[in-house]
Amino acid sequence: MPNKRLYYRLIPVVFALIALSTWLQPDFFQRASGIDLPKGQNPQLSQALKVEKPCVDLHPEWRKAQTIDNVAISESLLCEPDNPYNIAAFVLGMNNVSMRTMMSSRIAEDALIKSDDLDGDGDPDIIRIKLEVLELNGATPDSPNPFPTYDIAPGIQPGMWAFSPKLRGMSVKNFRSQKANAILRAPSPVIRVEQGDKVYITLENTHYFPHTLHFHGVDHPFQTADGGDNDGVPVTGQKPVMPGNTRTYELQPRHAGTMLYHCHVQTDKHLMMGLNGMFVVEENRPNNWVQTFNVGAGHVRHSSVAIKEKFDREYDLHYQSIDKNLAKTIQQSNDIREISKKMHRVYNMSESKENYFMLNGHSFPYTLRDALIIAKPDENIKLRIANTQHSNIAVHIHGHKATITHYDGVEQNPAAQITRDVYGLSAAQRIDLNLQTTNDGLHSYGEGVWLFHDHVEMGVANDGISPGGNVALLVYESLLSETGMPNILRADALDDVMTNSYYAKERALWGKKEAGTLAPDYLRIILFGLLLGLTLGLIIFILRGLTKAD
Amino acid sequence: MKKILLLSLFLFSFPSFAAMNHGGMIMDEKGMIMNHNPDKLPKDCTEISEDVDITIRGGRKFAKDYAGKMFTYDKRDWQVPPCARVNVTFINEDDIRHQFMIHGLPGYMYPKGMFTIELYGKGQKTASFIVPSRDYTYYIHCEVSQHTEKGMKGQLKVGKGSGDLDSILGLTPPLTPDLYPIKNSHYTWITLIFSILLGAVFIRVLSYFLSKREDV
Repeated sequence: MPNKRLYYRLIPVVFALIALSTWLQPDFFQRASGIDLPKGQNPQLSQALKVEKPCVDLHPEWRKAQTIDNVAISESLLCEPDNPYNIAAFVLGMNNVSMRTMMSSRIAEDALIKSDDLDGDGDPDIIRIKLEVLELNGATPDSPNPFPTYDIAPGIQPGMWAFSPKLRGMSVKNFRSQKANAILRAPSPVIRVEQGDKVYITLENTHYFPHTLHFHGVDHPFQTADGGDNDGVPVTGQKPVMPGNTRTYELQPRHAGTMLYHCHVQTDKHLMMGLNGMFVVEENRPNNWVQTFNVGAGHVRHSSVAIKEKFDREYDLHYQSIDKNLAKTIQQSNDIREISKKMHRVYNMSESKENYFMLNGHSFPYTLRDALIIAKPDENIKLRIANTQHSNIAVHIHGHKATITHYDGVEQNPAAQITRDVYGLSAAQRIDLNLQTTNDGLHSYGEGVWLFHDHVEMGVANDGISPGGNVALLVYESLLSETGMPNILRADALDDVMTNSYYAKERALWGKKEAGTLAPDYLRIILFGLLLGLTLGLIIFILRGLTKAD
Repeated sequence: MKKILLLSLFLFSFPSFAAMNHGGMIMDEKGMIMNHNPDKLPKDCTEISEDVDITIRGGRKFAKDYAGKMFTYDKRDWQVPPCARVNVTFINEDDIRHQFMIHGLPGYMYPKGMFTIELYGKGQKTASFIVPSRDYTYYIHCEVSQHTEKGMKGQLKVGKGSGDLDSILGLTPPLTPDLYPIKNSHYTWITLIFSILLGAVFIRVLSYFLSKREDV
């Protein structure tokens, strides 16, 4: 039997082994690569790469100029033109359209009633409008995914709200689809009325939270004729319109111009959720049937008489932004008490950031489908621009200098009008531009596929991934394809951005490999393991020996 | 007449502008050579020991085999005997500016201790410098912003040199290396545990044989 001295003598060996294994310890989680850097690897995608077509050409027959129920609808060469039957319905009112038009739209029969030519000038002067409140990409207890889905850009589905003309039928495309049908979309529709019209706008609150309507810059009395709330502000008027209830607001605007409307309940949140839209009052003219709704804003396919006198085309450009944390509040729960708490109590607007930036309800590259300005040389184009983001925008149109004719719906003295190439708009401001496409080196540098975008650079990215945001194009007709896509210089120019993995921040930029990872150093791991085992074995050997020895 | 005179003056003056030679600088529209020295001997050399012609190419394509880097020379490690006259032909294969710049030469003959060939775009130039006699490793690089850092660095050893410089592509590791994540799998951990067990069992077996020998 060996005595204790032998075991004591072995203790320094244990320390030597520990020192050696510490010195030889391999890096387990990260290490330098030595002389050559790692070869690189393709990024891991969370879902299979899917490349979308820039244009899914669903309704080519909607593009051409046409007359429906005697309403002249101008050509719209976009990839996704507005449904011309909707345009006819919005011009005539649902009470004046043919059955065919009615059936080809998804508008409720009482959504828009036009009647009574009060001043005898050939157009209706009593306009009754019904608005609903819709939710896009909200929560559903039947699926972890949002419903109904509305992609602002490939794979991006933030929770949003919008006002909408009163609809009928399903909110989705068809029984099997999760996608919102084409008329359910952001932004809230542009509302157009004629100066002097008696307008009755009824908010039918189809949503699960209280809301109101407030008309910003549109001439309206503080109270309705029978003393009801007409400004939409809960702290100065009536309680908000509760879910399932309705309220009618009354206007007879005496002044024409580009204005706004929005919900005034918990305004900071509800406005940013999307409950805001453009409200345009057109100048009074004889036989002036205006297109009461411009769903999704953008090209106006039936401009008013006064606009046609001066302009070749008219576009409504509505800039909006989304805070992804606010958008999330309606996607995380199906209990309205929880949603209300998350949105109205936990979420803090003073700590908000803007992550997504939209022009007419889409972010680049989907802006290419319906937010292009299409032009020909030597035209005058009316652009009505509204900013309902909370940050400022600085809109810039490449290759052009346009003239600001109106600020907040008020004409600027023509002698003092400014022609420039960056148009600044603070929150809730509107400007009207006269974009002249005369190739004179000042107003236009000639035909082209010219980008136009907010120059506040966070606005040209989707949650920081560029290109995105409110980037859109001014395209001359000679450079437009049959499907309304610009003839760009490279055939593969859109391949990156039209994928599901680009905005998920997974696809590497320029198709390059990432530095990636290194393989484990097995030799060092084995050596280290053996040394560790020897140490442990020796410790056990010593302890056992010491207990056994006398 | 006056105009023609002025014009001819301008025309004749142009070539001299194109190849200026100022205080060690030879410049033209293609590039610049600084401290060209084909004949002046360093103090410690009695004669030129040897004429060494080297051709060094610079450009993006030479960095293609080195992941994570952008520009480099075709060869980054050179050696010449003491007191050699080095005739450098520097060839730029890119359309942008590159330099062959060497540091540490004796300041009394090479102002700031430098010899440089700079090419403003694709092209080549040849110039010479004479190295001193001591064993030393000279630093070669391209000083265009971030070119050294992204791969365009080399060394010239005179005699035995004085060791290798850091961060030369394919030759020496960087002094401040990047750390990359290690892609571990369950094999990593199985290998580790198995090695530990093996080590422990080894002691057990060893003690078994030792005790056996004692028993005998």
